[in-house]
Order: sequence, then C-alpha cells, then structure tokens
Amino acid sequence: MEDIPTGKGGLIDFKALNRQAQEIIDEFKLPFKSTARARDLSVAYQQMIEIMKAYRRKPKIIAFDEPTASLSDAEIETLFGIIHSLKQKGIIILYVSHRMKEIFQITDEVVVLKDGKFVEHLRTAETDEHAIIRRMVGRDLGDIFNNLSRNDKKGDVVLEVRHLIADNVKDVSFTLRAGEVLGFAGLVGAGRTETMRAIFGADALKSGEVWLKGEAVRVQYPEDAIRLGLALCPEDRKDQGIVARQSVKNNISMAILPSLVRHGLIDKKAEAEVANKGKRDLNIRTPDIDKRLGELSGGNQQKTILARWLASRPAVLILDEPTKGIDVGSKSEIYQIICDLSKQQIGVIVISSELTEIMGVCDRILVMCEGRITGEISREDATEHTILTYAMADMLGGRQQ
Amino acid sequence: MTQTKQTLKQENPNAGLSAIVTRFFKSEKLGLLLALLLIILVFQALTGGKYLSQANLINIMIAMAVVGLVTIGESFLLITGKVDLSPGSVAAFSGVLAAILLNQGLSMYLVIPIVMLLGMGIGALNAFLVNKLKLEAFIATLATMSIFRGMAYIICGGKAVFLNDKSFLTFGAGRLFGIPIPVIIFVIIFAFFMVVLSRTRFGRNVYMIGGNAVASRLTGINSNKLLLKLFMMTSALAALGGCIMSARMSSGQPMSSEGLEFDAVTAAVLGGVAMGGGIGSLGGALIGLFIMQGFNNGLMMLNVPSFWQTVSRGLLLIAALSFDFLRNRRSKLK
Repeated sequence: MEDIPTGKGGLIDFKALNRQAQEIIDEFKLPFKSTARARDLSVAYQQMIEIMKAYRRKPKIIAFDEPTASLSDAEIETLFGIIHSLKQKGIIILYVSHRMKEIFQITDEVVVLKDGKFVEHLRTAETDEHAIIRRMVGRDLGDIFNNLSRNDKKGDVVLEVRHLIADNVKDVSFTLRAGEVLGFAGLVGAGRTETMRAIFGADALKSGEVWLKGEAVRVQYPEDAIRLGLALCPEDRKDQGIVARQSVKNNISMAILPSLVRHGLIDKKAEAEVANKGKRDLNIRTPDIDKRLGELSGGNQQKTILARWLASRPAVLILDEPTKGIDVGSKSEIYQIICDLSKQQIGVIVISSELTEIMGVCDRILVMCEGRITGEISREDATEHTILTYAMADMLGGRQQ
Repeated sequence: MTQTKQTLKQENPNAGLSAIVTRFFKSEKLGLLLALLLIILVFQALTGGKYLSQANLINIMIAMAVVGLVTIGESFLLITGKVDLSPGSVAAFSGVLAAILLNQGLSMYLVIPIVMLLGMGIGALNAFLVNKLKLEAFIATLATMSIFRGMAYIICGGKAVFLNDKSFLTFGAGRLFGIPIPVIIFVIIFAFFMVVLSRTRFGRNVYMIGGNAVASRLTGINSNKLLLKLFMMTSALAALGGCIMSARMSSGQPMSSEGLEFDAVTAAVLGGVAMGGGIGSLGGALIGLFIMQGFNNGLMMLNVPSFWQTVSRGLLLIAALSFDFLRNRRSKLK
C-alpha cells in the first residue's frame, strides 16, 4: 500500500507513511491494511486506491470516466458508497458513463453530449432513461428494435457444433442457419467467448466437431477459420481488434490481404477500393481512409472491424459484445448492420451481456451457464426473466434443457 | 471499376503535385532531412568544402554499407517490437569463418552462400528462443551475442586469420563504374527490402504485428513464422556484412564488428523507427544512417579523437529523439 507516497526529507518515514495511509483507508471504511500490496487487491480496491490518491491532494473536483467497466455488482456498490461520501465532503463529482442505471443511481444532474456537441443539461430527478436515450439518439431504444428491418428468409444449416469441449467449455452443441441471427446470453464467465474462440481456432479445441456447410472441418489456427469462411469480432476491441496506429484502410484490408496481392505486391488501387467500399457500406465516419484508426470513436472503430470481416465475405460472422462501450447512435446502426448481414444469408452469432440488445436483435437465443447451454428461447418468447433463469441455472438447482 | 475510380478522385481532390508537396511537408521525414542538411552544411563549412567531395562521399557510403545491411534487419525487427543484439557477433563469427574456409582453398562464390546459410541458422536459433522458449528477444539475443562472439574467437584460436584470396579482396575493395562493390551490394539489397517493407503483404504484416500482435493473430497473421523469417534475414545480412568486413580488412578479425547492432539500432531509431513497434520505414532508417555516418565522418575529418566521436554519437541520438518528442507533442496538441 506504499502507493500512497509521502516524502520526508531524504529518507522515507515508513511508519508515518503507513499511519497516514491507514487513516485515509479508515476514513473510507475499507477492509484492507495500508501494508497490503496493491496488486494483491481486487480491481475494485485498486480503483479505490486511485481515488484515495486523488483525495489526498484535497481536490475540489474528481472526474470518473466509466469507472465501473471492470467491476462486479458488489464492487460497484462499494464504489458508489465512496462516491457518496466524497459528495458529502463537498467534492464535486463528474461521472462519465454509458450505463443508464448508474446515471440514475448516483447523479443529481445530467449533461447529454452527442457527436462531441452539447445537447442538454437535465436534472436527474426530473427525467428518465427514455428521455435521455431519446436525446442521445434522437429516438427510443425500443423504437430502434421495433424498426429494425429483419431477414425472414432463413437458409440451410451453415454451422453445426457437436459436443465441443475446451477450456471453460463443457459440452456445447448448437446449429446456426444461413441468414439467422443467433444470440448467446449468459453471465460473465459462462463460457460464451471461450466457445467462440475454440471454434475460430484462437484457443485449443479439446474435443468435439465443427461442421461448416455440411462438412466436418478442422480449425487449428485463426487462419484456417478465415479460409473456411468464419469471422470473429473479438470482445476487447482495443486489445484484440484494432491496430490503432495503422490507417482505417490497412485495418479493413487486413483479413483479405492475400487476395489483394498482384505479382508479389499489394495492389494499392484494389486495396483502396475495398476500404472505400467498407467506409461507404458501414457509414464509417472518417475524413479519409488513411486516417489512423485510433483517432476514430469507439463506434467507428467497431464499424471498421466489421468492414474488415465483411470484406472477407464470411459464411458465419461471430460478434462478441459488438456494442460494448459504444455510443447509442452507433449502437442502433450496428443493430441494423447485423440484420442487413443476415439478409445477405450470413449466419450471425451475437454474444451480448445486454439483455435488451440480445432480445431485440436475435432471432433465437441460446443461454449458457458454467460452460454448458442451459436454455434455448425464440425472440417471441424471450423475457429477461426466462433468460436470467437459464443463465443462473446452476444457482437455481440445475434446471437443464 | 470506372465508377470507383471516380469516387476515389472525388475523395482525394488535391491529387497530383500539390498533394506530393503537402505530403512532404507533413511527412515525419522532413525534420530528419533538415537535420541531415544542417549536418552537411556545418561540416561543409568547417572542412572548407572537402566534406562534400566525391572521394569523401564514397568514404561515407563505404562506412555505411555493413552497418546499413544490419540496419535493414533491425528496422524490420524494431517495427514488430523486437530487437536483435547478436548481429555484431554473427558478423565477426561469419567473417572469421569465411577467412578460414577461403584459406582452405574454397571459392568465395561457395563461401559467401555457406556463411550466409549458417547465419540463417543462427537467426533460426534466435527465433526458436523467442517463439518456442518465449524468451524476450532482448535476452535471447544477448545470449547468442555472447555465444557467437566466443565462437568467433574459438574457431580461429583468438588470432586474426589473414587472407590473400584475390577475388575475395576485390569483393571488399573493388569498384564498378567508380562505385565500391560493398556500396553497390548495400544499395541493391536496401532497395529490395524497401519494396518488401512498403509494398508486400510480408511488410504489411510486420507493421500489423508490431501494432497489435493479438489482433494480428485473430486476423490470421502467423507471427511466429514472420519472426522466424525476420531473425533469419537479420543474421544472414549480418553474415554478409561480416564477409565484407573481412574482405576490406584482408583478414578475419574475431574482435571486429563490436557494437555493430547498436550502431544499426541507433541509425534506425534516428530515422524514426519506434522501439515500441508498429512505426517506422526503411526510408527513414536510410536518412538515419546518413545522419549517423555523416556525423561520424565529419568529426573524423575534423580530427576529433575517436573516443569523443563515440560520446557525440550518444548526444546526437538524445538530440534527435528529443526533437522528435517535442514535434510529436506539438502535433498531438493540435
């Protein structure tokens, strides 16, 4: 806990340092010692330490930018307790979040920004979630889902997975038809991402079969999967999806580069065509395709990754948390893109932890829990209650399919 | 097809000469070229015009050839976020081995390929340590640097191996159309790899892996294979450099090329190749080479003691990087 520094002329007075640190920790009513090592603490407590570091300097304002992104529900409660006590001490809190629930839980006033512009300043008590979302998109989320133009012509089974076993995945079987949007719901750690990574060859597949367009295939590496017509948009866009320092163009052409080579050299004209097509089709907002991808917003980065995979003309597109950390405007665009892709007879798999999203976009929803599929629901029958019941099957007494 | 061409033109209205001019002024290489120009002007003035003489320019190019070959490999590796510390040792080992083989009566047209193939083997060893044993490239090649420096001494018993193979000595000292053969070799190889890095899929993948290795893997780019090729290429170029060294010194010297890799990394970094990976170009590295060698040569002409030359090279590196840092910060603020 020596991350809270106090210099004492030349040598560090560790006793005083620990005492001062402990005082702050006690003031925040946190259950660890000042001598604990920060890395041994949970992410939530590490974040508390950051807050205490800021607090020590007696600030008038503390700004939080999406502080709950990596916290569990219980940890969020602790964080909110702290924010509340900071408020009591007269500190002004600026809280940036895209999670509506939190905004209403802890704020007094809300400022809505859209596309870098001020939209409206509201009193939290006098507004509601729908009102804010309407200002963010110009429409209601419910309307967005109702107005999606969906695909109603499903084709044959394009992907079939039989008894897949991998790390954290215990016997998963399912089928996906061409033109279908198949949702994977479940709690964090249910094995959804691991299932998809094993199918895609990103992680080892211990046993089980993957059938693509009626043929058993062996996928050892992602390059095999790509060649066979699979595409995977990973969950962590920043660390696993984008190459931030490279241009939008280079990011889009990445997966199909082998097909753009003429006489050993990359055909620049063909590459620019592919990139411009992606930019147009997915409405990527960038002045030109040579701009570095890292300089675009999260929503446009995600659309660029989508463009990368669409250029490869996949038979199956797997989207892992496709709207995580993305503004509501881009979200609604991505929902329509997903439906458009299903119309092109691409089989789309959507993993999402947002229940409204999964219920709004998917034709059929599989629920996973503890590495197994515990339930299957069609969109018409889906309610938050049934999905959560399946998602927590293990805690509710092993209610199996 | 024609329709896309039109849209392309629309989206890029200031194509043609003006675009080239703006691109030049926005280019990261502008600062570097200015620095190089400054160095040239200062030394030209201080040496009373002898600096830019044809004879001296050729001196600079000769000094550049060997370190330049290694700079190619180091630039590729630095862009992927790796580094190779062994080229100096590989060059010495290869140079001594070439001398021994030539003294056995083997033809240089056999010896040079053999030595370069062995170099590739050493590169494969480096890649094995990095890819399979998951060692940091810095540590792995620190180990092979030590191993092959030792091997260089062992195979010759610690003594220089003198050479009198005529054709091999021509390889080091001969000229074609007035240009030294090592310089011609360097220019051809450099031009080849410039195209490889900027225009081929292989080169693109170097940038992609350096920019985001995980995303590259998930997009089907095999980084182990690529690193294997890069380490093999770097060591082979170092081995060729070692042969040139031996030919120029008419002997295989086990202590030669000490610190060659650091000169190569310095030149690459001076030329804007980022140590963090993902950024840089061979064009930049070439300017970096010119700056470094031009600076060294200028100090030599002014009879600055060689120890001070070493000191000033360090100062030059710091100056170049702080300039770059300030420039980047300003452009970020914009």
